[in-house]
Amino acid sequence: MKPFVIRVGSRALWLTLAALPAAAVAHHSYAMFDLSRTVTLQGTIKDFQWTNPHSWIWIDVTAADGKPEQWGIEGMSPNYLARRGWSKHTLNPGDKVSVVIHPLKGADHGGSFLSVTLADGTVMRQSGGPPPASGPTPNP
Amino acid sequence: MLQKPVRRIRWVMAVSVFVLGAAAATAVAQSKPDLGGVWEVTMGVRTRPGPGAPEMPALTPEYAQKLADFKAAQAKGEDEESPQANCVPPGMPGIMNQPYPMELLFTPGKVTIVIEAYSQTRRIFLDGRKHPDDPDLTYNGHSIGHWEGDTLVVDSVGFTPDTALGPSQGYRHSDKMHIVERFRLTDPDTLEVVTTVDDPKALTKALSGTKVLKRHRDWDIAEYICEQNNRNLATDKGKAGILLNH
Repeated sequence: MKPFVIRVGSRALWLTLAALPAAAVAHHSYAMFDLSRTVTLQGTIKDFQWTNPHSWIWIDVTAADGKPEQWGIEGMSPNYLARRGWSKHTLNPGDKVSVVIHPLKGADHGGSFLSVTLADGTVMRQSGGPPPASGPTPNP
Repeated sequence: MLQKPVRRIRWVMAVSVFVLGAAAATAVAQSKPDLGGVWEVTMGVRTRPGPGAPEMPALTPEYAQKLADFKAAQAKGEDEESPQANCVPPGMPGIMNQPYPMELLFTPGKVTIVIEAYSQTRRIFLDGRKHPDDPDLTYNGHSIGHWEGDTLVVDSVGFTPDTALGPSQGYRHSDKMHIVERFRLTDPDTLEVVTTVDDPKALTKALSGTKVLKRHRDWDIAEYICEQNNRNLATDKGKAGILLNH
């Protein structure tokens, strides 16, 4: 009996892990982001676009050389975020925050959102508030 | 001759049996599992190539060549991006594997799947009709369904080859792609969908996979207008771009 039980378990595991006929298809590729690099931006929220197909965080930061820079950070859509503890009021113009991103590969000031630390210390990820979800954050 | 009270009892019993039988038949007819409501594909299932990867499509030589051409273009920096970056829906089967929920609506003779991603709708006819002999080719195809016990079986044909089979844009399908989906509850709020894709032009053997969806009884489908603020783009060569004007 034992081998049979093991076989059933293996099959269940295989069915769970394997063989979706198509990937969970992303809205776009991540070819433009440098997924090997993580950058933390500290600055002031200029705008939080609560829009499809992505939310966009626009943040004013001061570069190392003292010059002002505007960065645009792409996040998941309101549809996804609203089901995980976010709202259009999570970020507001004037808020002092730090945002962790994967930057664009080139010199443009943009990136893919990973997390934000609000002024009160709350850390928000796309999967919701703290602590970080196990495994990779879905990033379609 | 039976006495009157006995006859009355027999008559009542006969009527009762008839009524109970009819009620039981109705109960059987209505006892299909409740698959209605808002469902989301559970993520965390490994769907990309790599260790523990899903079954990959077994391509015919013609379609293996298409994949090789795609990979060669990618090596030159082309075809990085899919049409979805320009808000073009992926079509079947990819539209059923999105990170956004879908709502199954049951009305007489029809199941309607309202898919949040790209605001898509699938109509599955359960009224006994057949597929058209010469269906127009569409992104989501023509779908008919029936019940096999507690399993809703959906059969779909009529797909435009403009869309990809997946898991990447390099894996194409033909206009002969045929998809069978088997929807079954494994517990009151868990839906298993076993999907089998065959394509005599593109695949040497059928591709099969299972996904698991969770019912969210307190969710509603939300608006998803991809064109609202889409800053991603694919050039005519499929090069990925992003717009940072604000």
